[in-house]
Amino acid sequence: MFEFLFKYPPAMFAKGKFVLLAPWPVWTLFLLLIAVAGGLFWFQRQRRSLLSNSRATIIWLVQTALIALLLLMLWHPALSVARLRPQQNVVAVLVDHSRSMGIADDGKPRLQNAEDLLNNQLIPDLSKRFQVRLYEFGRDAVRVDQAKNLVANDNATRIGDSLKHIAAEAGTMPLGAIVLLSDGGDNTGGIDRDAISQLRQLRVPVHTIGFGPDHFNKDIEIVDASVPARALPQSRVTARVAFRQHGFAGAKVKLTVRENGNPIAQQLVDLKPDAEQSETILFNTGEAGAHTFQVGIEPIEGEQNVQNNYVVRLVNVDKKKMRVLYMEGEPRWEFKFIRRAMEDDPSIELATLLRTTQNKNYVQGAEHDKFLQDGFPSKPQDLFQYDGLIIGSSEANYFSNAQQQMIRDFADKRGGGVLFLAGRFALSDGGYANTPMAEMMPLHLTAEKSFSRDFASVSLTDAGRESAICRIEDDAQKNLARWQKMPQVANYAVMGAPKPGAVVLMNVAEQGHRPTPLLAVQNYGRGRVGVFATSGSWRWKMLQDHTDKTHAIFWQQLMRWMVTETPGEVSSSTPRQVLPDDTNVPLRVSVRDKSYDTVSGAAVTTTISRPDGGSDTVELKPDPLEPGTYTGSYSADKPGTYIAETTARQDKTTFGDDAITFRREDGVAENFGAAQNKDLLEKLSNDTGGNYYTPSSAKRLPSEVAVSEAGITAHDNLDLWDMPILFLLVILIRGGEWLLRRKWGVV
Amino acid sequence: MRFRIATLAVLLACGFSALYAFQAHFRQYTGEEENPAPVPSDADERTEWTFARLRYPSGRYAGYSSEVGSWPTDFPKADRQFLAGVRRLTRIHTRSAEQVIDLVGDPNEIFNWPWVYAVEVGHWDLTEAQCKLLREYLARGGFLMVDDFHGTFEWEVFTQSMSRIFPDRQIVEIPDADPIFHTVYDLETRVQVPGLQYLYSGRVYEKDGKVPHWRGIYDDDGRVMVAMCFNQDDGDAWEHADNPQYETKYTSQAYRLGINYVIYSMTH
Repeated sequence: MFEFLFKYPPAMFAKGKFVLLAPWPVWTLFLLLIAVAGGLFWFQRQRRSLLSNSRATIIWLVQTALIALLLLMLWHPALSVARLRPQQNVVAVLVDHSRSMGIADDGKPRLQNAEDLLNNQLIPDLSKRFQVRLYEFGRDAVRVDQAKNLVANDNATRIGDSLKHIAAEAGTMPLGAIVLLSDGGDNTGGIDRDAISQLRQLRVPVHTIGFGPDHFNKDIEIVDASVPARALPQSRVTARVAFRQHGFAGAKVKLTVRENGNPIAQQLVDLKPDAEQSETILFNTGEAGAHTFQVGIEPIEGEQNVQNNYVVRLVNVDKKKMRVLYMEGEPRWEFKFIRRAMEDDPSIELATLLRTTQNKNYVQGAEHDKFLQDGFPSKPQDLFQYDGLIIGSSEANYFSNAQQQMIRDFADKRGGGVLFLAGRFALSDGGYANTPMAEMMPLHLTAEKSFSRDFASVSLTDAGRESAICRIEDDAQKNLARWQKMPQVANYAVMGAPKPGAVVLMNVAEQGHRPTPLLAVQNYGRGRVGVFATSGSWRWKMLQDHTDKTHAIFWQQLMRWMVTETPGEVSSSTPRQVLPDDTNVPLRVSVRDKSYDTVSGAAVTTTISRPDGGSDTVELKPDPLEPGTYTGSYSADKPGTYIAETTARQDKTTFGDDAITFRREDGVAENFGAAQNKDLLEKLSNDTGGNYYTPSSAKRLPSEVAVSEAGITAHDNLDLWDMPILFLLVILIRGGEWLLRRKWGVV
Repeated sequence: MRFRIATLAVLLACGFSALYAFQAHFRQYTGEEENPAPVPSDADERTEWTFARLRYPSGRYAGYSSEVGSWPTDFPKADRQFLAGVRRLTRIHTRSAEQVIDLVGDPNEIFNWPWVYAVEVGHWDLTEAQCKLLREYLARGGFLMVDDFHGTFEWEVFTQSMSRIFPDRQIVEIPDADPIFHTVYDLETRVQVPGLQYLYSGRVYEKDGKVPHWRGIYDDDGRVMVAMCFNQDDGDAWEHADNPQYETKYTSQAYRLGINYVIYSMTH
């Protein structure tokens, strides 16, 4: 209808430029229009006895509009557009043949629909004016002669890579436009900017045709699962699982973590109305080694796609022993019971320094660290050999200015975990305000002394209920019930408000008082900082049966939080630990010396053990933008688990080593995002100057595809004066005037 | 407003339905004090630690000591003199008055005091329930120091109850190298600390207890749970620290040993 009235498709108007082709200047048009309007006005004034003022004005407006329209047509309006020259340009047509295109949404596979559309309509129509090059794509684009018997068998969809491939060919041919037929299920997390900017530079529009429904009617799909990459043996860790569902709102499902197919943690979850939802589940990582977990939701009856209910995640369980230094300024029961709690944890070695008298430092668990006999370490290389640091009830001025700065650097620069405890010489009471240590704390300090020896009850916050630190029982409800029956603590410090980014896990309150934060944590620099504003947790041990492990579990989990992610001198990582039908593994390594200053110019080598038993070596190169960081990439050509061990050397100095694991999984990527990703296809079209079509609206495409500034083009001026809509308007205006006059009896 | 207060109260009650804990305040045992001393002004202060004296029953052995039994021997002067030393010599936050842990009255109170002292245990006569309570106390992390019992007979009386607390654990001599003798002061060489009676009798031992022993019971992780000062009387040494006739070497060792035991119990 639009094209009938306006002569050209909407896309032409969107991309064309409006011009007037008459040889006379535009101002003459306006001048003439004013003169005609004035003349008509004078004429109406002469005949005012026939009509009232208001009716005369309406008639004057209608007549002026008609004259204005006719004058505009006389000035020869046209649309200036760049159009592909017929028979001189290439249009690349890409058909997605990934596995998701094999889904039969309406009884017929998506790829079959695409094939039919191509053969019955698009290719014949496009071929009349352009040379059509046909490609099928999944991981990459491959040219094919005809759209016949295409098979949806590629395990991945990489739209960006495929477009780059086509763009690279544009240098050897007059590429005028790209037509992409796909469900938009890109497995790389989106189309990268490179591909888009390359196409924009070439001015090649990408027209997309989307196949498949926006969403399944009945499906649960895991969007992401975030699991810590590293853990200590027998650690309880949190998996945060994001998922979306359609058609199952209100249903109860089992959020599950499996290892080797066996469920190791499960919890019931209520599905919310059609929206993305996020839940957490805690599970034990088990003994040392590379562990592969399946995280997701047990399929329920009626799901259209059960292959997207689980994702695979890797956790590298490290058997190395982490070291924590606990500096305590006065003998306290908390000290004794923390020491006892940690004796049962084989993964953490607790070294303690206790000021028993004014003249005696009592060192336990660090008999070889002679420097502790003189008190708190004064050199970074001494302090930084620990992975975690606890500061107990010791006056702030016990530490020199340099030591205070070092404590802050312990988290900020070294990347360790620091925990501050309450006490009569700690926090506000110990003069910590206005020190570098106050700055790193997740809670503001009160201006006044606030430590009291009153009994108070602890309670978990919402974040605390989900935190692995506070999880004594696997079951969330049982855990909450256990905390509600926890013995009171007999001392605590009133803390100020949490800082931005801090997470409060526990509150404390005396009966009848408002709760204040008791346990809060936050990331700080490369490390983590926590405040546990009491020294009375020992009563969780002494006031419960001797077989009760609450106190020990809590402290072990708190210390594991402190140290698990503490990096060594050499620390390697990859943003993509699991590669679903992908091969490219970016590697990133940070190298620091014993003072944790960045090391430039080191020789950094990663040796990668392949699943087939062989190994490869990758030499990493310094990142010019980030001193001490070395990057590289590796191609994981075979499915399975890979172990990457990195070493760094400079001259005769070896800085240490680190290992990470990653895994290539084949045949899984296409199980996810199987519904049409319309947003991605629309965005791709908009960003490149193309249009999005459905299969039914795609019949417009052959006429609209010609509008392009790429390839061999010509700027055409398309006449607009003869648009049917203009003649229709002339008739309507004139007819309208006649009807009005007839009604008012002045015909 | 009332509704808001009531709602807040309900919410607080829901959020904080913790197990409420109670800790006894200082209390005088006027009729049972063997050597009365002025009540310090800070007796009601809540502190990290204080001298916790076990009030246990002497039962059938009460006649050997007094009607009230043997628990308040040297009480409370010894306790308060020792506390003065702890306050002066260490960084422990403590008040100047002791706390009596009444094993006969409130059995659960002991769990608030992870270090307790029992004197003249050569006369104690614990019930089965008290033995069970002490076993649980020590298993949770409590520490018991026993003192001022002498000779074969009192040892046997002591072990009659002790063996019911821990039927499966041996009493052993604590080696000189054990950390308990080194937490603050190095006490590898020690002397027999006599009771006040040595000033009159000239003997540093009582009954047939000529040889001093520092014995203990260890837990499964090698930590001393019960420390026994057998054939010696540290309580008298604290009590008579202000007596010019009582020799400094005994007082000094008693203070040092007591402080070591306290610090040990707070670090192991």
